Amino acid sequence: MSETFEPKIIAFVCTYCTYAGADLAGTSRLKYAPNVRIIRLPCTGRISPMFILKALQKGADGVLISGCHPGDCHFTHGNYHARRRWMVFRALLDFIGIPPERVKYSWISAAEGVKFAEFINSVTEDIRKLGPFEQYTQLIEQTQAPASL
Amino acid sequence: MSIEEQYRTRAKELLSGGAVKMVIGYGKGSNAKRRRPIFISSADEVDRLVLDDACITNLSGYLVSEGLLSDEKRVAVFLRPEGIRAINILAAESQLDAEQIVIFGFDVAGNEIKALKGINVEEFSDVIDSIKEGAPEAAEEELFEKIEKMSPQERFSFWQEEFAKCIKCYACRQACPMCYCRRCIVDSNQPQWVNTSSHTLGNFEWNIVRAFHLSGRCVECGNCDRACPVNIPLRLINHRMAEEVLGAFDHFAGTSKTQEPVLASFKKDDSETFIL
Repeated sequence: MSETFEPKIIAFVCTYCTYAGADLAGTSRLKYAPNVRIIRLPCTGRISPMFILKALQKGADGVLISGCHPGDCHFTHGNYHARRRWMVFRALLDFIGIPPERVKYSWISAAEGVKFAEFINSVTEDIRKLGPFEQYTQLIEQTQAPASL
Repeated sequence: MSIEEQYRTRAKELLSGGAVKMVIGYGKGSNAKRRRPIFISSADEVDRLVLDDACITNLSGYLVSEGLLSDEKRVAVFLRPEGIRAINILAAESQLDAEQIVIFGFDVAGNEIKALKGINVEEFSDVIDSIKEGAPEAAEEELFEKIEKMSPQERFSFWQEEFAKCIKCYACRQACPMCYCRRCIVDSNQPQWVNTSSHTLGNFEWNIVRAFHLSGRCVECGNCDRACPVNIPLRLINHRMAEEVLGAFDHFAGTSKTQEPVLASFKKDDSETFIL
């Protein structure tokens, strides 16, 4: 490939913290990599592992998940539940052979526009270094299933 | 008197006295090495019960059959220690009332059968604790360690080869006492989370979801592994998950009927080293 690889990254973020943080990054005119498609959800507790698998199934090279810092959840403990779930899910993905570097987690509050921009940039850079998720893409090609939802 | 005879006598007493409405146990199978579950509701039939080292299936899953326990009558069931743990989990998840279950506990060491003392699930806590202490190893420890040592790419290829065999018959789900959802995620189609056809991608997703839903709940009875018609080593994945919840949250599934499910609870100081 002569063109540089531009990773496709899906971000699942909670509306109360990280999405507001992304807004702040925007209104502060911070520049960050355009590779991320943000999906806004009510809470990190709403992020089912199915979302992550679906993103990979539809050809994402990386997935990024972010929400309120522990203790700051709008629903008081959604992010605590999510944290446990990710811990287990990460181990599972690792054991199955999906590199954990492709799925990143962070806490970004509504005030952390700069952290958001930096996080997106660093994740994009990391995934770009990893290259396309070829093993998975091959499986997707095998299926030749039209995109459906 | 052999344990088989003791248990037959006990089953007879319970059934004829009306203390239980049914005994779920093992009967003769299609050949000398196989046992099949039998459901006895009359005292005359207790002689069909068999108990030997071929009785390996975890029968606890039958207890959550629709309507079986809804008349509040008691049911007796033959269980190995894993099965007893399964009862604890089902009770903790409000799928059954542990008071309704009369346990015929047994364990197999080599080809010797050992009776486990007790009737109610609480009475077996020592047995369960000793399993936890013993830090159970994966059934195929060598293969498990080999997989652990692989690079992610190699692991992916390993599982790709295994999952390519999957025919999505969902026998693993049907055989599992923990897979009691009326509507499984793979049966729902709006949205269609997991591809229905059995190409490798969909098989990956199905097996990931299955293992995830069982993490912190699996008792490693091996029902799924034995049910798999193409011999995918499912118990390795389950074992990895059990190891993870034990290491990360000190959670050993099925120690008591009031144990909080690991993924439905949390601690404020849970580890979060991986979160940036």
